Amino acid sequence: MSTTEFSRIQEAVGTLAACSTTSESRMDLRADADHLLQAVTSFRALNWGYLSAITGLDGGPAPTDGHIGILYHFCQGPAVVTFRVEVPRDHAVVPSISAVVPSAPLFERELSEMLGVEVQGLPAGKRQFLSDDWPPGVYPLRKDFSPESAVPVARSAPVIGSEEAPGTFIVPIGPQHPALKEPGHFEFAVDGEIITGASVRLGYVHRGIEKGAEDRSWVQALYLVERICGICSHIHATAYTLGVEALAGMTVPPRAQAIRTIICELERVHSHLLWLGVAAHEAGFDTLFMFSWRDRETVMDLLESVTGNRVNYSVNLLGGVKCDIDAAAADAIRRGVDYLQERTRHYLKIVTTDESFLRRTRGVGAISREMSERYGTVGPTARASGVTTDLRKAAPYAAYGQFPVEPVFSQACDQEARFVVRVKELFECYRVLREILDHLPGGDLAIPAPRKVPEGEAISRVEAPRGELFYYLRSTGGVKPDRVKVRTPSLCNWAAVVNVVVGQKLADIPVILAGIDPCFSCNDRSFTLRRRGRTGGSGHGSASAETWSWEELRAYGIRYYGGGR
Amino acid sequence: MDVLLAVVALLIFPGGLFVIAASLAYEYVDRKLVARFQNRLGPRWFQPLADFIKLLVKEEIVPDGVNRGLFNGLPLAALAGALTAALYVPMAGLAPSWGFRGDLVAAVYLLMMMTLCIGLAGANTQDRFSLVGAVRALTQLFSYEAPFLLALLGPAIAAGSWRISEVNGYAREHLWMIVTQPLGFVVALIGLMGKLELPPFDAPEAETEIVSGALTEYSGRGLAFFRLGRDIELLIGLTLISAFYLGGLGNPLAFLAKTLALLAVTAALQSLFARLRIDQTVGLWWKAGAVLALVQLLVLIALKFAGVQL
Repeated sequence: MSTTEFSRIQEAVGTLAACSTTSESRMDLRADADHLLQAVTSFRALNWGYLSAITGLDGGPAPTDGHIGILYHFCQGPAVVTFRVEVPRDHAVVPSISAVVPSAPLFERELSEMLGVEVQGLPAGKRQFLSDDWPPGVYPLRKDFSPESAVPVARSAPVIGSEEAPGTFIVPIGPQHPALKEPGHFEFAVDGEIITGASVRLGYVHRGIEKGAEDRSWVQALYLVERICGICSHIHATAYTLGVEALAGMTVPPRAQAIRTIICELERVHSHLLWLGVAAHEAGFDTLFMFSWRDRETVMDLLESVTGNRVNYSVNLLGGVKCDIDAAAADAIRRGVDYLQERTRHYLKIVTTDESFLRRTRGVGAISREMSERYGTVGPTARASGVTTDLRKAAPYAAYGQFPVEPVFSQACDQEARFVVRVKELFECYRVLREILDHLPGGDLAIPAPRKVPEGEAISRVEAPRGELFYYLRSTGGVKPDRVKVRTPSLCNWAAVVNVVVGQKLADIPVILAGIDPCFSCNDRSFTLRRRGRTGGSGHGSASAETWSWEELRAYGIRYYGGGR
Repeated sequence: MDVLLAVVALLIFPGGLFVIAASLAYEYVDRKLVARFQNRLGPRWFQPLADFIKLLVKEEIVPDGVNRGLFNGLPLAALAGALTAALYVPMAGLAPSWGFRGDLVAAVYLLMMMTLCIGLAGANTQDRFSLVGAVRALTQLFSYEAPFLLALLGPAIAAGSWRISEVNGYAREHLWMIVTQPLGFVVALIGLMGKLELPPFDAPEAETEIVSGALTEYSGRGLAFFRLGRDIELLIGLTLISAFYLGGLGNPLAFLAKTLALLAVTAALQSLFARLRIDQTVGLWWKAGAVLALVQLLVLIALKFAGVQL
């Protein structure tokens, strides 16, 4: 960030917040809760950047610290401006910034559910992340949280439509529904075939990964975050390792960075081809679904031959990568890419010329650029609305500085544009893959990583197949992370979707939902595994909440997979 | 003796068992062809029968808030309608088992019972997907039914009879009517796909939107009967169109060749398109389908008055 920008921001915020620059691309603005809204308002008047994430940090109970830190990260290119607010744990109240930052509510709700920070002015609404029977007043991301305190409260089964106003008709979609490959819940109020209202409920696959990472060593947490998502596992691991390496001050060999980038791009190819099939299926075009998934096998085979795995590739190490790409593997990738490029040309032709398909995509679910920026959409969804941000270019990481990528975007804003942008991105993937393979740097694959990571914090932002993925890491100098905050791209895209479906036709809902390539598994992360009644104990269905110990889980896993035979 | 023959015709051949077996076989061919067009392996030959038996064995769950009589009776009515209609068409290339003046109209209405029953079945439950599916099924009925009927009337007018066996006989002795009435043929074939809710006209049961449409709440016997009824409709539809437009059906061999050729065409059409929204389906039928069928019919009537030998 240039010093002029820095002083512009300082000038705008004035005495409302204390400014300091922590590195050439980061700036901290310390404000107190009373002046936060004012400070953010004058900052937003500069029209600088977008809200990327809100991180909550619990310092622990009173004798040690007694405060909760709330960090509002605004980003533009590689620069990050962070508003930092500290509030006492026993009276954690901050104003909502959603009046000036319309994309904030989901982040703020996560903050209030997970850390118990009361966000004043946040529109009342149902829970988004914790389950409905989660006890009130128990906050999983607080340091003194104990699983024993999470005793489910009694609740009656919700009845669909019980809350509907007279004259409205609600069509529920999910958590189990053929259109959703992962659980989420949507309620669409319809008038005939026209949508008049929409709401979303997330959190069905919350697995406590952020909390779990705090209880593992820096190395173990790597394997945990890689399992956040089954489609873009590598990008999570990459974001995490880049963050830890920055914290530990490690310089990773260029060959390792290049190999990471190759896997990133192969993963993007696999993700986009998978999406193409799913999105076509949602529009009732199963032939395209079957063909694109057939061709996707090419890239799956490549990933398997290079890394040994089809899903969680486990390529990254702290300090490098695990597997090498030799001349034979490089040739295999080149051949695969040649085949895929030819097929992708065919798919581009289909999504832009097939008459029946265009009837389902052209002009459907248009998110204008202005709306896209207001609600903070990211990734291909945003680029289909004319936003040109692609972190691979805007804030290059890994080997993207050396092998630049041209962002693909479209001004058309509709569903067709989302197809075109993703399919065209595939060509860019193929080009970059060839480029890297032709100029693969020599040298080591990894350097040793320290067991303990020096005290400090790091922000790591990467371009996942679905858009900007944000990691915030904090170390207190120990062998375990103090905080791992993950903000996945899917979370940013909901607000725009829920707003754009109103006025559309019911039949277009699956298509529009698929348009943002939602990943619920990424979306939902934090918390604890409970079971209702032990087998052979008090009978199933009884609400005796118990937490599984590690030994029990392990024994269960062994039994489940037939280890007892 | 006559009574015995009538019972055989009704229960074994060409009605009853034969129709059921043949329609399951045609379902297999349809599924296999679509699967191969989509680069899939597709089912084994006995899969439709296995599905049918499996559904018969499964528990039929009657949801709360439905009229039980209707819930159980509608699948039977739909199946009975389809089985009855089979008696009036030249099944297997043989003469129809029954026939009377105007049986064409009766057969078309018997075929329509299926859609009506599906619509009622959906409206009978409180399930939201079923309700939306029922509305869509009935909306679709009102769009394809008129053009479909008009398209079948074309050959009847040419033959000067509304009796299926006579139209069939006329078709066998004259130039194939796919040549003389191409518009009617196209409308009839696409109309059949609309009737059977085959892609791209599968909005009433669009899986990704409304799960299984009007039949969402059906799980066992009822679902088996509805599915079987639909298979029989496919068979009857193919038979009717081949008899009218593809030079008539005179023997089992011609029957097999012509209906399977038609089936291959519908399978290809099923895999070519993305699903149409219900508003697009209605638009397509009233803007294109009905107009085409009417034009065809008016030309026919005009030629008839002019005394041209068709």
